Amino acid sequence: MIRESQDVIVKTLARLLVPFIVIYALYVVMHGHHSPGGGFQGGVILAASFVLLAISQGLDKIRQRLSEKTAGILSSLGVLIYAGIGLLCLLLGGKYLDYGKLSKLLPVEPAQARSLGILGVEIGVALAVMAVMCLIVFTIFSFDEDSGGDE
Amino acid sequence: MNIFFLIIGMGMCALVLLCLYRVTFGPNVLNRAAGLSAVGTKTLIILLLMGVIYDRVEMFVDISMVYALLNFLGTLVLAKYIKQSGEVECQL
Amino acid sequence: MEVTLLVEATENAFRILGDARKHAEGIIDSALELTSEETRHHEAKRIQEIFTGAQKRKTAFQNFIGTAVILYAFWVLLSGQFDAFHLTLGAICCIVVAYLYHDLLFANTRVGDMRVVAWRFITYIPWLMVQILMSNLHVASLVLRRKMPINPQVLTFKTKLETDISCVALANSITLTPGTITMDIRDGVFYVHALSKKVADELQTGAMEDRVAHIFMEADHLYVQDVLDAANIYAALRT
Repeated sequence: MIRESQDVIVKTLARLLVPFIVIYALYVVMHGHHSPGGGFQGGVILAASFVLLAISQGLDKIRQRLSEKTAGILSSLGVLIYAGIGLLCLLLGGKYLDYGKLSKLLPVEPAQARSLGILGVEIGVALAVMAVMCLIVFTIFSFDEDSGGDE
Repeated sequence: MNIFFLIIGMGMCALVLLCLYRVTFGPNVLNRAAGLSAVGTKTLIILLLMGVIYDRVEMFVDISMVYALLNFLGTLVLAKYIKQSGEVECQL
Repeated sequence: MEVTLLVEATENAFRILGDARKHAEGIIDSALELTSEETRHHEAKRIQEIFTGAQKRKTAFQNFIGTAVILYAFWVLLSGQFDAFHLTLGAICCIVVAYLYHDLLFANTRVGDMRVVAWRFITYIPWLMVQILMSNLHVASLVLRRKMPINPQVLTFKTKLETDISCVALANSITLTPGTITMDIRDGVFYVHALSKKVADELQTGAMEDRVAHIFMEADHLYVQDVLDAANIYAALRT
């Protein structure tokens, strides 16, 4: 069980850094199609921001921001977005994840529709990765919660 | 100019090896943690030098920022783990 | 005889009834007073709560706006693409993140002095760079000598800084300067590891602490920088 850190430096720096880390993760997700990164990497950075918050503020306060139930729902939602876009392309007459066919629904060119489709898929992947990573980390951090803990 | 950065990068690799010695044969777990953190910092600089050599600085800056973040976080978690496991006496 | 007894008895009964009525009226009056006081108190409390809630919401809203603006500047710096699509994406991301984390960036700051603090912080950076360069050369000369005349030691000193953020700024300045590392801050006492005596002496003059205190405007202390500022004005007045 991770409790609130007693260290002033860690607490203050985590408080100041976390919003910027989250924005950086969203930048990595959104610009995945013309710079390194993408859904998986962005999701990992998002989860890293939650780990930093958990170390500095304790696990209880993080559960107020992102409970385990919400994390489970978010992970399923991410997979749903990914599979939904793929199936939408299938329904529109293309292959699975054939984003060009999305231009029938959206008022844009096929090339731009491909870009938007990749963006949507990456958002789904990022959500799923972030939620699953957070679940793993929460489970590891709270391993001695039931047995009372030794510290 | 590329030769200059290449030589600096090779020197950094040699320094990484020195830090790796401390990580491998460190007498204490704290020495290993400090060595690991130093290796991470040097890797970051090597990444930036690679960006300069390949003319893709804007790409490698992104990667090195992620590397810096994960290095910082890893050292922090390692320190927390060492403190909680009670393997080393933390005296002050 | 019996008639007088009867009259007395009835008078007594009437008196008792009157007393009882007075008593009951008193009780009802006091009960009324109590309830009205209670309700008035309750009303006042509720109004107070509404006001404090509004104030809290106002500061939360200000924090939200400030966080969103700073994060959007960071996004534009990262993105470097100025077409409408990416700028809109950035705005949406910044608003969502600022809504989720509006309490992190501006926890317990004093209002109204942010611009001065930012400007003083920017002017502090070149001085810190010069400090880092000087002690870099010093540590390099120490380490490259054959005998390595180092003298590691742990200093403890009590700081006069009060807020968390200024303590953190001082600790990170000390760690950035080669040769000195902040190990811990506990109850306002800094534990600093210094590599040699010269570095330790430089740290214990307190110049860096004075400068950090000047940045964050820690009150009721006299600082070297303030005296230097005043000296200029005094000299200008004398001539």
